[in-house]
Amino acid sequence: MKAIVLTGLCLLGLSLQTSVFAASPYAGQARAAAVCSQCHGIRTPSAEAPFPSLAGQDQTYLETALKQYRDKTRKNDVMNAIAGSLSDTDIQSVASYYSKLKP
Amino acid sequence: MHAIIKKISKTLLTTSIGLLLSNGSFAEAEINAHQLFENNCASCHGSDHGGYLAPALNADTLKGRSPTALRTIIMAGSFDTLMPPFYNRLSDDEIRGLVKHLQTTPKLPNPAWTIEDMKKSLKVYVKDESTLPAKPTYTIDNMDNVIGVAARGKYGRGEGSKAVFINSTTHQKIGEILTGTAAHIIDYNPANPRWAYVKTDTAEIFKVDLYSMQAVRSIKTGYNGPGMGVSRNGKYIMAGSFVPHNAVILDADTLEPLKTFELEGIDPDGKMVSSDSGMIIGTPFDDIFAIALENAGQVWVVDLKEGFPVTKIEKVGRHLHDAFLSHGGQKLMIASYDDSIVAAIDLKERKIIKKLEAGCVPHVGGGSAVKVNGRTLGFGTNFGDCDKTVVSVWDLDKMEVVKQIPVSGGTESPAAHANAPYVAVDIISKDRRARTIQLIDKNSLEVVKTLDVGGHAYFPEYSADGKFLYVSAGYSGDEVVVYDSHSLAKVASVTMESPAGIFSHGRVRYMTRGLSPDEIEGAK
Repeated sequence: MKAIVLTGLCLLGLSLQTSVFAASPYAGQARAAAVCSQCHGIRTPSAEAPFPSLAGQDQTYLETALKQYRDKTRKNDVMNAIAGSLSDTDIQSVASYYSKLKP
Repeated sequence: MHAIIKKISKTLLTTSIGLLLSNGSFAEAEINAHQLFENNCASCHGSDHGGYLAPALNADTLKGRSPTALRTIIMAGSFDTLMPPFYNRLSDDEIRGLVKHLQTTPKLPNPAWTIEDMKKSLKVYVKDESTLPAKPTYTIDNMDNVIGVAARGKYGRGEGSKAVFINSTTHQKIGEILTGTAAHIIDYNPANPRWAYVKTDTAEIFKVDLYSMQAVRSIKTGYNGPGMGVSRNGKYIMAGSFVPHNAVILDADTLEPLKTFELEGIDPDGKMVSSDSGMIIGTPFDDIFAIALENAGQVWVVDLKEGFPVTKIEKVGRHLHDAFLSHGGQKLMIASYDDSIVAAIDLKERKIIKKLEAGCVPHVGGGSAVKVNGRTLGFGTNFGDCDKTVVSVWDLDKMEVVKQIPVSGGTESPAAHANAPYVAVDIISKDRRARTIQLIDKNSLEVVKTLDVGGHAYFPEYSADGKFLYVSAGYSGDEVVVYDSHSLAKVASVTMESPAGIFSHGRVRYMTRGLSPDEIEGAK
């Protein structure tokens, strides 16, 4: 039930915002599914995976980390490559999506 | 976080042990690489390097491929497939070693897994089954309401790999059985509602007590292969493997192997071949099993009596795979990949009735059949990604094609229920379409609705009462999504790692999804 309400709210949010605020958890989910979920999972990583969980992480922390990976002030070959493909809006959306997920 | 650190240090430990062991000697390093392959790759790619759910990885198939590109795939995984990322799970040296090993190892000869090996692999978790509770330890009105989901786990093994059982009236999990490697098939005992059997991709079979939700026994029947069926009297299980090419009949009570069968025969083109096991099915029609020999194109009917004699039906099709039953279980509809037909077999006469046109690479999954206006209609999915993608509808009384319904992509498994208005099919074409399920109206035989489930949505299944439609959002979805079967509103989500096949306990009553239980009654 909660999920339905949440989805409803997200959709409502999306229709209200449209292009005014391009970043949204809904867009973030699509981006996360395409870019992050292979390792970090769409909700949480596999019980077996050596990757950190992103669900419920602080939004600002996620945004900062992704931007540091993107400009390579924080070094990690895989994350530098992946973050390099994200726009500011992508980063905001993805951070917004994962921060709102319950761990 | 702790768990993660523990995992990483465990990986480091394994790596350093690996390095110690491999120290210098080339032979040992090779053995090590083979062990890495067995422990990480073989459950999907086949223990003989010949492919299984995933492509064959051997010197021949990987000839000329760039080692760097292969390393990248292993590290990052392959998007839109089950291939997970092994970055940080395997060390860079291990990945390099694996690539070298794969590019230099030919497809192995059929490895032996004998009846003695099977006997030795039998494990007993509950010695005295009389200590088990007499009824379910959870609240449930009817055991038919149990739905089992084969959760593969991201890596096809480990803590994420399990059979998850759900009460399909409340959509709450009622139990989980860890299976070590990816669960693939769940069957139920038709004679006693408490027993379920779970088969993994590495060919272990678990006997599960649904009342106390625990595994009581297990046996390893081969290296790879999902084929499994339970006899109508609940006394026997038959299991078949891709690797090696054999099948076995087990005592369903003790899981002890009774007889093995070497799968080989003359294919429709006159060549003697050794063969993978395709589907195995028990039928309410008779005390028999039917098993498909994929490469030999034969269906064998095994009588459940002294010596388990076999009747061979030859020239059924090229590359047989899965099947479903109709007409009280007397008729078997079996898919043949390479000649785009579904063959109808009469299990009483033990011969082919007719070969019906299907579509591009027919894969009927569990199949579906529904009664509409006095006709019994069978639905067949086709998982090829061709120009024309259709779901075939056959009149199973007259054995003729009624319609080929255009759908948006390749399909793998149809679901139907006597009380639900739609036949659901999963679109598996590898792009955004993979997120969707299409619904075919039983009367108009047209697609009337497309559901966006998310992830890689597949294996739809109705609850036993037909009120709910369950769908696996699969890999990159990590949830099972539940819909109201009439309004198609989403009513629940059950999270798990990489869910795949969904199996309603109700199947033991309605035989093939979509038929009413009267079909079976009619057979007796």
